Amino acid sequence: MSASRGVALVGAGVCKFGVRRASFRELIWEAGKACFDAVPGLRPRDLEGLVVGSVLPERTAFQSHIASLAAEALGIRPSALSARTEHMCASGTVGIRYAYAFIAAGLADLVMVLGVEKLNQPSGEEAILNMGTGVDREWEAAFGLTAPPCFALAAQRHMMRYGTTEEQLALVGVKNHTHAARNPNAHFQKGATLDQVLCSRMISSPLRLFMCSPITDGAAAVVLASAERARDLTDRPVWIRGTGQALDGFQLSSLPDDLARWPALERAAQAAYRMAGVGPRDVDVAEVHDCFAIAELIAYEELGFCDQGEAGPFIAARRSDDGGDVVVNPRGGLIGCGHPLGATGVAQAAEIFLQLRGQAGPRQVPDAAIGLTHNNSGMGEHVVMIYGREPA
Amino acid sequence: MTYWRAVDPFPLQSADHTKLAEFYARLGQGRLSTTRCAGCGRLAWPPRAFCGDCCADRFEWVDLSGEGAIQAFTVQETGLPAGFPGPRVFAIVAVDGLRIFTVILNGEAGRVAVGQRVRLRPLRVADGPTGEPRWLPAFAPA
Ligand SMILES: [Zn+2]
Repeated sequence: MSASRGVALVGAGVCKFGVRRASFRELIWEAGKACFDAVPGLRPRDLEGLVVGSVLPERTAFQSHIASLAAEALGIRPSALSARTEHMCASGTVGIRYAYAFIAAGLADLVMVLGVEKLNQPSGEEAILNMGTGVDREWEAAFGLTAPPCFALAAQRHMMRYGTTEEQLALVGVKNHTHAARNPNAHFQKGATLDQVLCSRMISSPLRLFMCSPITDGAAAVVLASAERARDLTDRPVWIRGTGQALDGFQLSSLPDDLARWPALERAAQAAYRMAGVGPRDVDVAEVHDCFAIAELIAYEELGFCDQGEAGPFIAARRSDDGGDVVVNPRGGLIGCGHPLGATGVAQAAEIFLQLRGQAGPRQVPDAAIGLTHNNSGMGEHVVMIYGREPA
Repeated sequence: MTYWRAVDPFPLQSADHTKLAEFYARLGQGRLSTTRCAGCGRLAWPPRAFCGDCCADRFEWVDLSGEGAIQAFTVQETGLPAGFPGPRVFAIVAVDGLRIFTVILNGEAGRVAVGQRVRLRPLRVADGPTGEPRWLPAFAPA
């Protein structure tokens, strides 16, 4: 499968992530402003489309119809594409796929994708209740299930099957909190030691607080352009080389028996690699969906960075850290940077944009040419994007 | 003006609301049941009124044994949603060849293990909007 037209990122911007004293609309303004500032010569009225990834505005901001709200707030007047994507934690990347497909098909030339989530309202107590809307209400969430126990079940299984240790899980927290300390937009910026992670309070066994992503407010935006418009707007476009999405199941009991394997991620990755014409060893920098430490470890395996069952030793040997085979989550990932659901996938793309342009400052991966993002919604639904400094 | 919460975290279970009301009626009597597709014979979990394999929308009710073994579990200590106290034991239980997501009641104090035998213990939750009792399929150590 090859696209009819090349598509590139030409701009990206994120706002400060955290528990923000800012309204839903203000988060949109901040990310939109940062993105427009990154593309001199691009004005809101030049854009033909806007896709907004957002999951819970009805329950948090008490607001729906948000693509139009965001377009008005940013001065965009869509003439080709205006839509919201809601696919839980993968909403942002699904939005990027929509914009990509529209441009590749010739239906638009310039589209912004913005992700936004204002989770910490109306109260912290309700924020967690709201998160349970992402799992099946009748058969799972009615028991009080939210994400941490789901991923804890996968962690238990990975430990039992492969001998993965608590310390190896903790190293994901150490790495990503340490990386976040060099990202001024991250939710957390104090870093973390192995002792701190291993002694942090238990959330859902074996996942401790510093192995989990927090509840974060934030927004991020990127602009996608056809090849021709991309070259007009910048001399350093970042090309979309490949993309894949696959689903194995929604309910826990529908997933494959072995919760330590995520076949949908493997399929999404293979589709993206095939389309991009690259393999796992070509990836210099990756933003993977470390909503919980175990997710990052399983992602190493399904993305092909290491063999099945080898993720624990892989991180322990620092092969996913600075100077390793592939630098994973240089901005701090979801654990260190935060996880404003709809904004997460867009923020991952924004980071890869900076990395492939050599503009990532203190967290720059030297000479990064191929970047990958992995965004999931639960353990059974995965989206992978591959970006390149050069077109395919 | 008082602050009003419009959240009902439990499914509507009566025949006015769902074709699967029979499941909840049986559960209230201490029976675990599910649907068997009248088209292809597939036993489903959870029960369903439309078959994703053969597209039939006809089904029959089948009682399950109500006893099984824990395949996987985790104990959530903190960070539970409002209204759900911890610690809470979430588990996947194998019953008659089906994998059932559930909570294990009275499962604290080290009594939970993979392979542990458990038995259905229907959990009464908040009554429905017209005062009818509502149940969830929870389990407890056998
Ligand atoms: Zn059938």
